[in-house]
Amino acid sequence: MVPPQYYLLLAAAIFCIGLFGILTRRNALLFLMSVELMLNAANINLVAFSVYWGNVTGQTLSLFTMALAAAEVAIGIGIILTLYRNFGDVDVTDAASMRW
Amino acid sequence: MTAPAAFAGLTALASPMQMGQLPDWTALAPVLILAVTGLVLLLIDSIDADTTNSALLAGVSTLGAAAALAATAWSLATGVGQDGGAITLFADALVVDGMSLFFTAIFTSVVVMVTIASYDYLRDHKHQGEFYSLVLFAASGMALMASANSLATVLVSLELASLPSYVLVAYLKENRGSVEAGLKYFLIGALSAAVFTFGISLVYAATGSLIFADIAEALSGGEFVGIAGLGVLMVAGGFAFKTASVPFHFWAPEAYEGAPAPVSAFLSSASKAAGFAVAFRVFVEAFPLATIPEGINWVLAFQILAVVTMTLGNFAAATQENVKRMLAYSSIGHAGYALIGLAALSAGGSANGNVLGASMAHLFVYGFMNTGAFLFIAMVERWGVGRTFEDYNGLATQAPVACVAMSVFMFSLAGLPPFGGFFSKYFLFFEAIENGFWWLAAIGALNSVLSLFYYSRVVRAMWFEDPSGSFELGSQPVGLYAAVMIAAVGTVLLLPGFPPVIETAQTVAGTLFA
Amino acid sequence: MVGAFDFVPAIVLLPFFSFLVALFLGKYMPKGGALAGITATAGSLLLSIWTVLTVAGFTGTATTYQQTLYTWAGGMEGTPLPYELTFGLLIDPLSSMMLLIVTLVAFLVHVFSLGYMNDEGETGLPRYYAGLGLFSASMLGFVVADNLLMAFMFFELVGLCSYLLIGFWFREEAPPSAAKKAFLVTRFGDYFFLIGVVAVFATFGTAAFAGDGSFPALAEAALAGEGGGDVNTLFGLDPQAWFTVVGLLVLGGVVGKSAQFPLHTWLPDAMEGPTPVSALIHAATMVAAGVYLVARMYGFYALTPTTLAIIAFVGGFTALFAATMGVVKREIKQVLAYSTISQYGYMMLALGSGGYIAATFHLMTHAFFKALLFLGAGSVIIAMHHNENMWDMGGLKDRMPTTYYTFLAGSLALAGIFPFSGFWSKDEVLYEALVHGLGGSPLLLAAWAMGLLAVFFTGFYTFRMVFLTFHGKPRTDTARNPHGVRWNVKGPLAVLAVLAVVAGFINMVPVAKLTGLEIEFLHDWLAHGPSGLTSEHYSELTHDYANYSVGTLVGGELGTALISGAVSLGLALAGAGLAYSLYNVPEPVEHTDRLGSAKDVLFNNYYQDEYQVWLANDVARGISRGADKFDQGVVDGVVNGISSVSLLSGSRVRRIQTGVVSNYAALLTLGLVALLVILGLQGGWFV
Repeated sequence: MVPPQYYLLLAAAIFCIGLFGILTRRNALLFLMSVELMLNAANINLVAFSVYWGNVTGQTLSLFTMALAAAEVAIGIGIILTLYRNFGDVDVTDAASMRW
Repeated sequence: MTAPAAFAGLTALASPMQMGQLPDWTALAPVLILAVTGLVLLLIDSIDADTTNSALLAGVSTLGAAAALAATAWSLATGVGQDGGAITLFADALVVDGMSLFFTAIFTSVVVMVTIASYDYLRDHKHQGEFYSLVLFAASGMALMASANSLATVLVSLELASLPSYVLVAYLKENRGSVEAGLKYFLIGALSAAVFTFGISLVYAATGSLIFADIAEALSGGEFVGIAGLGVLMVAGGFAFKTASVPFHFWAPEAYEGAPAPVSAFLSSASKAAGFAVAFRVFVEAFPLATIPEGINWVLAFQILAVVTMTLGNFAAATQENVKRMLAYSSIGHAGYALIGLAALSAGGSANGNVLGASMAHLFVYGFMNTGAFLFIAMVERWGVGRTFEDYNGLATQAPVACVAMSVFMFSLAGLPPFGGFFSKYFLFFEAIENGFWWLAAIGALNSVLSLFYYSRVVRAMWFEDPSGSFELGSQPVGLYAAVMIAAVGTVLLLPGFPPVIETAQTVAGTLFA
Repeated sequence: MVGAFDFVPAIVLLPFFSFLVALFLGKYMPKGGALAGITATAGSLLLSIWTVLTVAGFTGTATTYQQTLYTWAGGMEGTPLPYELTFGLLIDPLSSMMLLIVTLVAFLVHVFSLGYMNDEGETGLPRYYAGLGLFSASMLGFVVADNLLMAFMFFELVGLCSYLLIGFWFREEAPPSAAKKAFLVTRFGDYFFLIGVVAVFATFGTAAFAGDGSFPALAEAALAGEGGGDVNTLFGLDPQAWFTVVGLLVLGGVVGKSAQFPLHTWLPDAMEGPTPVSALIHAATMVAAGVYLVARMYGFYALTPTTLAIIAFVGGFTALFAATMGVVKREIKQVLAYSTISQYGYMMLALGSGGYIAATFHLMTHAFFKALLFLGAGSVIIAMHHNENMWDMGGLKDRMPTTYYTFLAGSLALAGIFPFSGFWSKDEVLYEALVHGLGGSPLLLAAWAMGLLAVFFTGFYTFRMVFLTFHGKPRTDTARNPHGVRWNVKGPLAVLAVLAVVAGFINMVPVAKLTGLEIEFLHDWLAHGPSGLTSEHYSELTHDYANYSVGTLVGGELGTALISGAVSLGLALAGAGLAYSLYNVPEPVEHTDRLGSAKDVLFNNYYQDEYQVWLANDVARGISRGADKFDQGVVDGVVNGISSVSLLSGSRVRRIQTGVVSNYAALLTLGLVALLVILGLQGGWFV
C-alpha cells in the first residue's frame, strides 16, 4: 500500500501547479482550469485519506467538490462571456479600470 | 453527506410530532422559507420570462424574506435551539442554536431592505426574476452557513452563498464596471474556494472527520500538527475571503464599487456577517483553544489579520475620492473590528463569550448602518448624481431627509455616541480589554478616530458645501426611500434597543464556549 | 393605602401641566393661561399641606418617604456602567417644608400676576405663564430630588426658566442683556457644580442624599475609619482633603445660584424681569436653591471644617457687603435685590457655623417677608406707572394703605425688629455663629461680627426705603395720583403680611430659653426624619468633625441668647432710627454726598462689575490668546502632522490595489505564505 505521505505530496504538487497557473496565466479560461487543478488536489487528499481513515466521508465530500467545481465553471464561463462582450478579449488583466 | 446521514434526515422528517412540540426540522424554517421563495421567483420567471413586473417580484421576495425574519424572530423569542440545547439535524451536519438564529436575523433583515430598495433600482432592467431569486438563494446559503456543523456543509453552503453573489455583482452585463467587478470577485473567489477546499482536505487528512465535535476531539490527540495547522490556516483563508479580510480582501473594493449598489449593500453586510458566523462556529467548535495543540496558534493569525485589516481598510478609505469605494474600504475596516471577536480570545479567557458576542452585536448593528449607507448610494445613483465627494456637495438642499439618514449612517459607522454603532464598538473594545487584549482595543480606537475623518467628509459635503452644479433629481424612488428609512430607523433604534441585542449575542456566544 | 406620598409626583407635575397648557392653549384662554397656573399651584399647595401634615404625623404616625421612581441609565446586566442614574423622591421634614414654601409663594405670585401683568395689558402672557409654570415645576422637582444628579438637572432647569423670565420683555434693551448675564454668571458656578457631581459619582459611586448607601453616609463612614475602601479619592488626597475639594466644587453652584460673593452680580440686574418673577424666583425660591442644596447635603458638608469655615465667611462677608451697597440705591427693586443677597449671606453664615436649623428658619421667614416686599414693591410700581425711582415717590402711605401696612410689616421683619419673624430667625443665625465662635472657632467670630454689623445697615436701608416711598410729601404728579390696585394684588400681600408677622413664633429660641417652655417647634420638626438627615445628627457631626462646640458669654446659654438678641435688635433700631432722622421728613434730600468718595464706590457696587469685566476681557482674553497659540502651534501641529502622515500612508496603502486581478492573486498567495511562515515557525510545524 502506498503510504499516505505520498498522496499528500502529490496533492501539494498539483495544488502548486494550479497556483502557478493562476499567477502566470492571463487568459481567463486558463485561470479557471488552474482552479480546477487546485480543487482536484483537494480531491486527491480527500479520497486518499478516506481510505486511510476507513470511512467514506472524504470520498463523499469529493463528489460534492466536483459538483461545486462544475457549478463554479458554469458561472465562470458566463462571466467570462460577458467579459469578452465588453472588453473584446478574455485577458483578465484588461479589466483593470477600477483600482486604488 | 453520507447515506446514514441522509437516512437520519428522513427519519427526522418522518418522526411523529410530540405533544405541543414541532418536529426538529422545522427549526430550519428560515432557510426553507428563503429557498422556497427563491424557487417561487424562478417559477414566476419561467411562466412569464420577460416580466418587468417589479412590484410582484420585489413584493414576493420581500414577503419571503420578511417571513423568514419573522420565523427567526419567533424562534429566538421562543427559545428554539436555545432552551433545550442546540437542535442538530442530518447526523450533526446542521445545527440550529441561538447563534445561527441571531445571524439569520441579520441576513434576513438585510435582504428585506435590499429587496425593497431593488424595486426602484431595477425598474428598467430585464431579467429581474433572476436577480431576486439569486438574492434569495444566496441568503439561504448564508443562513445555512450559520447553521453548518460540519466542514462539508460549510463548503457547500459557502459556495451556495458565493456563486449567486458572483452573478449578482456582474448583473449589469452591459456595464463594464459591473462585469469587471464580477470577474475579479469570481476569480479571487474561485482561488479562495480552492484554498479553502484544500484546507478542508488537510484537516480531514489529519483528523479523519468533518463534523466539528469530532475534529476537535481528534485534534486534541496532538497528532499531525503540521498538516492540521496548514489546514486550519487555509480554512481561515476561506473565511477571510468571505469576510473581506486582508490578504483575501482584494476583490472587495472593486466588487462593491462596480456592483449595483443594492448588491454592494447585500454583500458587504450580509455576506460578511455570514463569513463571520461560520468562522466563529468553526474556530470555536472545531478548533477550540482549550484542547487544540499549542502549535496551532490560530489566534495569532487572527490578531495579525485583525490589525492589518482594520488599519489597511481605514487608511485606504481615508484617501478615496469615490464615496462608494470609500464605503468599500470602510467595510474592510469593519471586518477588522469584527475580527477582534476571534483575535481577542484566549484559552480559558473569562470574557471569551462576551468578546465573541460583542463582535456579533457589532455585525448586527453594522448590518443596518452599512446597508443603509449603500442604499443611499443606490438612491444617488438612481438620481444620476456623480459618485465622488464633490458630486455630493449641497445634496442636502435637494434631499434633506435622505441626507439626514445618510448622516446617521456615517456617524454610526464612525462610532459616535448618539447612534447604535457607538455602543457596539464600545462593547467590542471594552470586552477585548476585559479579556486582556488592550492593545487590540487601542488600535481599534485609533482606527475609529481616523475613520471619523472620512465619514465626516460625506456629511460635510452634503450639508456644508455649496453645490458644484445643479441637481436634477427627478422622481422620488419610493422603495429606495423606504429601505433607507428602515435602515436609519433601525440604526437609531439600536441605541435604546442595544441591551437586548448584546445580551442575546453574548448569551448565545457564551453557549459555544460552555 | 393611598397616602399623601403617592401624590408627591403630582405636586411637581401639576405646574408642569399648567406650563403645557399655557404654552399651547394660552392664546385661546381668558387671562392668557393664568387660571391654569393658579389652579395648578393651588392644587400643589393643597397636596404640599397634606404632605407636611403626613410628615408631621397628623394623619397617623410621623413618617418620611424615599422612593426611586425611574432608573434612566446604568444597572443593566452586563454593562460596564457602574452607577445607577435615577430619578427619585425624598420627602423629609426639610423638603416638605420647602415644598410648602415654594407652592405657597408660587400660588400667591400667580394670583398677583393677574394684577401686575393681566390688568396692565401686557402682551405675551401665555409665554409668561408658561415660564412661571415650568419654573414652579422645576423648582419643586429640585426640592423633592433624592440624589445630587437629579438635583443638578432641575437646578439647571430653574436657571433656564430664570433666564427666560428675566428676558420676558425681550424687545427692550436691558432685560435680554440682564438675562444673559444672569445665565452666564450662574452657569460659571454650575460648571464647578457639574464637576462636583461627577466627582461625587467617581468617589462614592452614588449620589443619593439619604439612606445607608448615600454619599454623606459613605463619607462619614470613610472618615470614621469604617469602610474607607469604598470611596475612591483622586489625586492621592486623603479622604478629608478630597471631601473638602468635592464640597467646594459643589459649593460653586451654590454661590452662583444663591448670589453670594463674588458671583452675586447677576441678581441686581435680574430685577429687569417682571416684579412677580423677582418675588418668586429672585427672592423666595430659586435663589434659595443654593442654600437648600447645602442644607440637603449638610451631612456631607458637616464633615469638612474647611468648607464650613469658607461657607460661613463668604456668608458673613456677603451679608455685610451687599447691605452697604443697598444703602445708596435709588430704585426700590435694587434695594430689595441687594437686601436679598445680604439675607442669603446670613443663611450661608448660619450653615457655615453649624446652625442648620437657624439657616432653615431664616430661609423660611425670608421667603415670606421678601416675597411680601417684592410684591409690595410691585404694587407701588403699578401705582407709579412703572417708575421705580424712590426719589419720585413719597407720601404713598395715605393713598395706598393696604400696601403700606403690609410693606411695613415686611420691612420690620427684614430689619429684624421684635417681634416680627425676621427678628427671631436672624437672631438665631447670629446666636449660632456667636456661640460656636466662642466655643473655639475664632474664625466664626469674624464672620459673626460682619453679620452683626450688617444688621445696622439692614435697618438703615430698609427704613430709608420705607420712608422715601411712603412717607413725606409726594414728590411727583404720579405719586400724587397713583394708579389703584385690585384685590388680586392686595390679597397676596395680606396673606404674606400675616406670615411675615407670625412665622417667627414657631421657633422663639430666647423665649424658650427664658421661660423653659417647649415652643421650639422648628427644632422638633427638623429633629425627626430619616436617620442621618436630622438636625441632631448634624450637630453631632459638626461637633465631631469640625470641633464646633458651644461657648457662652456671661449667664450661660440663656444670657448669651439674650445679649445676642438685644445687641442685634439694638443695632437694627439704631439703623432704623438713623433712617428716620434723615429721611422721615416732608422733603428728604440725598445725603449720599456726605459719604465722600465712598459714595462712588458704593454706587458702583465696589466696582464689582468692572473688575469682573476686566477679568473676563483682559485676563481671560490673554489666557485664551495663549491657549490659542498653544492650540494652533502645538495641538494643531501634532494633529495636522498625524493626519497628513495618515493620508500619505493611506495613499501609499491603496496603491497595492493595482486593479490587475493577477497581482491580487499573487499578493493573496504571498500573504498566505507569510502567515504560514509566521505560524509555522511559531508553532514548530517544520521540524
